[in-house]
Amino acid sequence: MRSLTHLNARSVGEACALLDEYGRRARLNAGGTDLLSVLKRGFLPDRPEAIVNLKTIPGLAYVAADEDSLRIGALTTLVTLAKSEVVNEEFKVLAEAARSVGTPQIRNAATIGGNLCQDVRCWYYRYPHKLGGAMDCLRKGHGGCLAIKGDNRYHCIMNGKGCFAVCPSDTAVALAALDARIKLAAPDGERSIRVADFFGPLRNALDANEMVTEIEIPRTARPSTQTFLKYTTRKPVDFAIASVASVVWKEGERCIDARIALGAVSPGPVRATTAEALLLGRRVDEESAVEAAEEALAGARPLSMNEYKVHVARVLVKRALLEEAD
Amino acid sequence: MAGAYTYIGRSTPREDASRVVTGTVQFIDDIALPGLLHGRVLRSPHAHALVKAVDKTKAEALVGVEAVLAWEDVPDWKGGMTNSTRVLDRKVRFVGDAVAIVAATTRKTAAEALDLIDVEYEILPGVFTLDDALDPGAPQLYEDYPGNVVTPGVPGWGPESLKDLVTGDVDGGFREADVVAEGVFGCENIPNPMPPETPGAIGLWEEPNKITVWVSDQAFYKHKGYLRRIVGSGFDIKTIGVPCGGSYGSKNMSWQLQLHAVLLSKATGRPVKLVLSKEEQLAAFTLRPSSRMHVKVGLKRDGTVTALSGRWLVETGHYSQTTQAQVAVGLGEAQLAIRCANWDLHPAIVCTNRNASGMVRGFGGQELKCSLTPILSLAMEKAGLDPFEFFKKNYVKPGDGYFWRNGKWYVYRGVDYAAAMDEGAKRFGWAEKWKGWLNPSEVSGTKRRGVGVCVHGNADIGEDPSEAYVRLDPDGTATIHSALVEHGTGQKTNIVKMVAEVLQLPLDRVSQLPTDSSNSPFERGPGGSRGTYATGSAVIAAAEDARHKLLESAAHALGADPADLDTDSGMVFRKNEPSERISWEAAVGRRTCIGYGRFEEDFTLANCMMTFVEVEVDTETGHVTLIEVVNTTDVGQIIDPPGLEGQMNGCLGSGGIDSALFEETVLDSSTGRMLDSNMVDYRWRTFFELPSVHNVVLETPFASHRFGAVGVGEVATAPGPAAALMAASNAIGVWLDGYPATPQRVLRALGNVAPGRTGGGAT
Repeated sequence: MRSLTHLNARSVGEACALLDEYGRRARLNAGGTDLLSVLKRGFLPDRPEAIVNLKTIPGLAYVAADEDSLRIGALTTLVTLAKSEVVNEEFKVLAEAARSVGTPQIRNAATIGGNLCQDVRCWYYRYPHKLGGAMDCLRKGHGGCLAIKGDNRYHCIMNGKGCFAVCPSDTAVALAALDARIKLAAPDGERSIRVADFFGPLRNALDANEMVTEIEIPRTARPSTQTFLKYTTRKPVDFAIASVASVVWKEGERCIDARIALGAVSPGPVRATTAEALLLGRRVDEESAVEAAEEALAGARPLSMNEYKVHVARVLVKRALLEEAD
Repeated sequence: MAGAYTYIGRSTPREDASRVVTGTVQFIDDIALPGLLHGRVLRSPHAHALVKAVDKTKAEALVGVEAVLAWEDVPDWKGGMTNSTRVLDRKVRFVGDAVAIVAATTRKTAAEALDLIDVEYEILPGVFTLDDALDPGAPQLYEDYPGNVVTPGVPGWGPESLKDLVTGDVDGGFREADVVAEGVFGCENIPNPMPPETPGAIGLWEEPNKITVWVSDQAFYKHKGYLRRIVGSGFDIKTIGVPCGGSYGSKNMSWQLQLHAVLLSKATGRPVKLVLSKEEQLAAFTLRPSSRMHVKVGLKRDGTVTALSGRWLVETGHYSQTTQAQVAVGLGEAQLAIRCANWDLHPAIVCTNRNASGMVRGFGGQELKCSLTPILSLAMEKAGLDPFEFFKKNYVKPGDGYFWRNGKWYVYRGVDYAAAMDEGAKRFGWAEKWKGWLNPSEVSGTKRRGVGVCVHGNADIGEDPSEAYVRLDPDGTATIHSALVEHGTGQKTNIVKMVAEVLQLPLDRVSQLPTDSSNSPFERGPGGSRGTYATGSAVIAAAEDARHKLLESAAHALGADPADLDTDSGMVFRKNEPSERISWEAAVGRRTCIGYGRFEEDFTLANCMMTFVEVEVDTETGHVTLIEVVNTTDVGQIIDPPGLEGQMNGCLGSGGIDSALFEETVLDSSTGRMLDSNMVDYRWRTFFELPSVHNVVLETPFASHRFGAVGVGEVATAPGPAAALMAASNAIGVWLDGYPATPQRVLRALGNVAPGRTGGGAT
């Protein structure tokens, strides 16, 4: 590893100013659980010159509830979310998504901001420098997507464009189902965007001088039924092959509102809005759940080796709605 | 049964236990020597290419870099079976192959220097599959191997070394058969044995011709022989055995990195350490061989195998060091598990442009079983046979014979394992769970459970000679001179127990010399479960010889008959007056008694492991969960209960049962790059997901070992994968077409996903 300048930011303003100064040649570091492996594998075309440490910024780790919303500071660790009383009571999908990440050690260090901003897991993109050199692809600015003709068993089944790597974040899926917004700070001010809009096929919505500061989840008066299902090869230390977060509001036995988000199928979490609409006014039972599952994956266009993901995701949607285990 | 013994069969602390748990064992990467330099390897980006030019100027100019070597800077040293693979070659044959090596004052500087070496390549087309490699127009990896087929046979095992299995009359055998099944099945997911410690070595060159290598492997003495065969005579070679953080066979293939360290030492005049990263271990070090069989098998309805014929293709990657040996032992092991008078089985070992396969526990026989069992299963299904009964009937019985690795015929004289198999079946509940072929044992909603069984054994428990000295000092202590290194199994403590038992000395009065080829007699080292029977017998014989010499000396001094004397706790006494005791020192004076023991190779015994597996398949998601494993064996006499338990629990990883469920190496089909060379993408089982594992161990003494014991460690992984795939197929009611049982494969078998490429598996 060549030497890097390590800078401790004392405020969000200072962190953004440093990003401004270095352009894309600086990387933010929160928990470091992804960044360090990115740097060690050395696959990025332009090695960063500086690491901006965010852990030195006071007051960016919090879970605060007011009447309308729950606000989560970007430096809040995943273990905090997994254990938070209010998150477990009202936003169970988020607690479960946080709990599903990595291992206890990773969850102790990893933050919600970092979980949303982590780099994709595509094995062509992340191919290590020391084993014959990193591989070029469109995501790195040269060439096309190597997964299209290669081994794409874990890649996109929808919305891929230029790059077919999936969003690896579990919390993003829960947050999409919770209709959360992400607050971004830049030297010249702040903006807030929907979680689903944060992710794109080639990169996320962050400008070179922006950072995630807060996640805001609206509170609803009426309690909902929430299920998060994550399908992996093994339980710990694994990324989703497919995942689903569902939030369903019922009146009696009828569904009056539903939000379904799919994970690991696309560059970002995908809201299955037509499937959600299909459930309105209906009993949530085997029949409607199967229909909603069909609808949720109706737009899937699998690659050569990942048709099974369509099937698995469909099963997860059905099971989530029926509140079955994965 | 520890009853008769003081130490044997009892749980005693491992001699290295406190050093292991306090982190004070000096593994290879912990060793610091004065002036030590750090080596790193520049690895090829191409699967097949000629190195046209190497510009080292910039790398050599970097402060801290002491040497940069490419193919033209090194002698023409060649390793591998038939010595075809050069230590650094002008031709690279896989992505990750060594192009140049660097020594620097720090590992970091060495890594930086790699980026400063400019290499010009002439890219050659690569071959990545068995079929492509065997194509008549295929690119050729070696001039020595026309058609990419490796020269068969193991020269060290003599001219008759087993290259194929041809005996009896297969046509007649098929005529006798009630059913005949034919099929093609592959075990082509080339799992990585992945020992926790990455491979490494330290090399020291001292003028004019002295080579010293610190070896991290389960055995170090044999590396002296390997290196001598590669560098030729005229060198003074010494190997030093270092505690090894796991090998599972794989670190046997360390010659190249050892000689990289030696060459860098020669160039710098300083010792050089070269330890691979985890990525390098995964992408550029030993894998299991890939195997595919096209065979035809004939059975009678009573379970008699009448004939077995066909072709066995073994893919070894870019070179072979032991694959011919694995084929030979695999062919032998096939006969141990399947009594059959008529064989016509022809292997071929094929080279492809990927990382090399080689020695991994299960050693050829596991790969053979994984390919053959599904086709045998088709025949059993046709004949309506229960696989447990089939394996029990067909496993080698006293008086049965087999051709072993050297091509010679041996008659088995060990125990009948049927009793152990029955006991295992009872523990597993086989009779209740077996519902016939392709029938689940239990159905609950979308979850279906299935069971499978397979058996494996190896006659290498007596392979190769072993020698040892045991030295008795007058102060009442014993010292073992054996080239046995600790590699995680506790074997080094087991030989202490054996010596302590023979001499009736407390364990803490038995010590061992540092493991160094210059102070130890010949020892092949662990492998093929030979530690207990072969190494153990040599050490026991040395202890008995030393005891005999002690009592002879004492008898002379005491004016007694040696036969009337005995010893324990460092004291000598007359058997009929055990209360009158004198110390060894008083008995023999200023004298050390040195005993010598030798074990002669013996292939007339075999161990046996039968593994029962139950899995649960979610038929909607295709997920396969391992529920229960029962391993059953007969070891004659347990030496160390927890050590044996650990070896048998090892059935899951190191390319064992999990290689049937999810472990696999993923190669990019167009570039030959290994895509999952890290511990996240290469899925391996964590402690959070351990199934229930029960080990049934019988103790029917083997008469030819002083304590009646044989080893089973090496075979613990071997029967499980075939049993697990059988279990998954029975659960879903459809034959799975390859390893591992990924959701793609399961859902495709169930018709939920259209046929297509699945990657990693058989076609």
